[in-house]
Amino acid sequence: MKKIESTLIKEQAYVEKLENGLTVILIPKPFTNKKYAIWGTKFGSIDNHFIVPTTGKEIQVPDGVAHYLEHKMFEQENGKNSLDVLMSLGVEANAYTTNNHTAYLFECTNHFHEALAELMDYVQHPYFTDENVEKERGIIGQEIRMYDDEPSWKLYMNAMECLYHQNPIRIDIAGTQESISKINKETLYDCYNTFYHPSNMVMVVCGNFKPEEMLQEIQSHIIHKPLQSTITRIYPKEEQGICQKYKEQEMEVSMPIFMIGFKDETPKQEQVKKHIAIEILLNMLAGKSSHLYQTLYKQQLLFSSLDLDYEFSEQYAHILIAGQSKEPKKVQEQLLYEIQKLKENMPEEYFERIKKKVYGDYVAEYNTVGDIARMFLSDTMKGIQTFDYIEQYASVNKEYVKKVLAENFDEKNMIMSVVKEKNS
Amino acid sequence: MSEQKTIIKPGIQFHQIQTNKFKTNLLAVFLTVPITKEHVTENAVIGTLLKSGSRTMPNQEKINETLEGMYGAVLDSGIEKTGDNQVLKFYIEVIDDNFLPKKEDILTKALQVLLEIVFDPYLEKGIFKAEYVENEKEKIKQIIESKIDNKAAYAIDRCIENMYENKAYSIYRYGYVEDLAKITPENLYEAYIKLIHSCKIDIFASGNLQEDLSKKIQESPIIKALPERKVNLLKEENLSRIPKPKIVEEHREVTQGKLVIGLVATPEQQQNFNYITMVYNAILGGGANSKLFQNVREKASLAYTTSSNFVKMKENIFIRAGIEIQNYEKAMQIIEEQLQAMKNGDFSQEDIQNAKNLLLSTIEGIEEEQDAEISYYFGQEIAGNALTLEEYKKKIEEVSKEQIQQVANQISVHTIYFLRD
Repeated sequence: MKKIESTLIKEQAYVEKLENGLTVILIPKPFTNKKYAIWGTKFGSIDNHFIVPTTGKEIQVPDGVAHYLEHKMFEQENGKNSLDVLMSLGVEANAYTTNNHTAYLFECTNHFHEALAELMDYVQHPYFTDENVEKERGIIGQEIRMYDDEPSWKLYMNAMECLYHQNPIRIDIAGTQESISKINKETLYDCYNTFYHPSNMVMVVCGNFKPEEMLQEIQSHIIHKPLQSTITRIYPKEEQGICQKYKEQEMEVSMPIFMIGFKDETPKQEQVKKHIAIEILLNMLAGKSSHLYQTLYKQQLLFSSLDLDYEFSEQYAHILIAGQSKEPKKVQEQLLYEIQKLKENMPEEYFERIKKKVYGDYVAEYNTVGDIARMFLSDTMKGIQTFDYIEQYASVNKEYVKKVLAENFDEKNMIMSVVKEKNS
Repeated sequence: MSEQKTIIKPGIQFHQIQTNKFKTNLLAVFLTVPITKEHVTENAVIGTLLKSGSRTMPNQEKINETLEGMYGAVLDSGIEKTGDNQVLKFYIEVIDDNFLPKKEDILTKALQVLLEIVFDPYLEKGIFKAEYVENEKEKIKQIIESKIDNKAAYAIDRCIENMYENKAYSIYRYGYVEDLAKITPENLYEAYIKLIHSCKIDIFASGNLQEDLSKKIQESPIIKALPERKVNLLKEENLSRIPKPKIVEEHREVTQGKLVIGLVATPEQQQNFNYITMVYNAILGGGANSKLFQNVREKASLAYTTSSNFVKMKENIFIRAGIEIQNYEKAMQIIEEQLQAMKNGDFSQEDIQNAKNLLLSTIEGIEEEQDAEISYYFGQEIAGNALTLEEYKKKIEEVSKEQIQQVANQISVHTIYFLRD
């Protein structure tokens, strides 16, 4: 096992690639009572067109299939549902699907061995029948309806539609009532057989254990599968530039909510360094002590701090700034003004102070086993080593941050999505 | 983990929680007063106003600059309702000194910042600054009005309001828009002084603490200036069974219907009632094994979310389900069948053990999160208990099937609330 560590925050992790291609990351935390295991596959809502490695067949699947598959994985041939089995052990178990991966997880203080055996058993044993696939349609249909009533989700989806022309990040993770009606057991098996091969998967365990013993335990549950070549994923070619500058929708909200986005080139190198720089910039431009926030707060155009985010994978990258305001357009204007001002002059002292803040944010993410494990999983899916955020932090200097500001905060790549109250 | 309690002066307590599990130290100040229609709104404004400025940090810029310079210390506040009391909560989270790129004592500084924010606010001419008061009134107005934005939480709040009409527990923790107009910098400052001179004060520190912080607190001039007080918290009688459930339907623009059912219990001198009801609730709607999840979701495919939760302080259970609007009758019928099954004792030893395992693992998780740990000790404090986590687990383990069935027969539906289009 390869040991990686961060001496600054006194944490270490062990990484091993098994013979069948599975990546295992183990993060021992001796002072906790908990263990958290998460098993992810690089298969998300954007992966809807691909070539099956075993047959060479090119297929296109209905929207929402990765999420549907996630729901159905728990069902077992013996009639049991693995979620019930895990919960009956007193284990907190769950699963989720994102744009670029799907993950199955549990967290526990006791019964770890039984729970790990169950997790590894059900993820390796799909059991789809016409009846059990049909039964899930109503449940997922209600999940989609729940999101339909959620203004913040609509806001995000509309922002993606503004930023991208073709990119499948525009597709709702759960699909639509219409698209899920086309999902059947064959679709699910096609996707399972393609994407749930160990070489496309990552397992992370964090908690109190000895790494060597844990690795052995994981290996003992692995079911042999023939090696698989790389999966060819087919994505539509994304045009440069944004698709639409502005999109607005009316819903039942008390005050408009908005999301401002900047489309970015997908980062090929220095992803971590760039990510740190963008976080520093977002805090300088729109954080709690920023001129923007203070000005708009005094004018009662903002009441609480803005959500600042940089989302990226191999297929997409964008900066997001979201909040609630009576006048989203004024927030956007102020932001553009602040970007211009910061491009002209970046005060040294301000830069250093915000850089300190961003360091604290990274360290605080190492508080719970769940946060740590999820962070390692999603970073690994992007080809990132998580400790790099702590280790590369010092190398991010003002010159570099200024360069990122000039390249990535450009008005022509900016969009805004607004969900506003109904005029009734 | 261990908690050490120190009485700083009557009505003011300090709780130090020693733990080596975290990268951060968490400090908190909780101010607790009986919730009243008359004062709830001004207290809510005070709760957010205090973060606008303090004596040495006169505005938000200065406060945030200070926090950023402390490696992004996080100042947070919240307004909550615990039973019939309103709690103003203030937190500051800082990186433990051991994990800083260079040695600094930011813990002591964090304690000073927190105490100053809560007890030494920025004043102009002896009262709150008018501009800050206006801003925070507007902010509270916006929070109250945005209640509707989250339909699931809104439905629960509305069910409680209907259930507890004209009672303290129906009062919304952020107050009421119509009461904001009366608030002026003068009367708000008066209300503030009254509040900090009479409320129950609990100060918490959780982390890998190298010293007993109670001395630092005792010697702080800010704390010295606070008078001792006699604490009076409010505890109204809990609701009892009514002959016919109250049915409330509300129309809003929703695509999914939100069903919330409020249950009351009439404990007949039942010892350990709360622990038994926790197990009852876990079987009914605790997790994926529960009757609601299995029957409403898995068997009938009526809902994606369905669960129940137990509010100990008021001895209520709230069942909820997000359903297709035309499925109301069907869902109601299945839910009623589950309540009847509980009464008939139609659950196995395995169901009981599953429910207990779920609760035990939640209890074991308390010390794995700093704010959960603080909340636990605060809950004990308010309830007048001093149960350790081990004792708490034992209480759950001791619950028997007979006791659960007995409790099931003391539980009845009080209010059925349905939010629909």
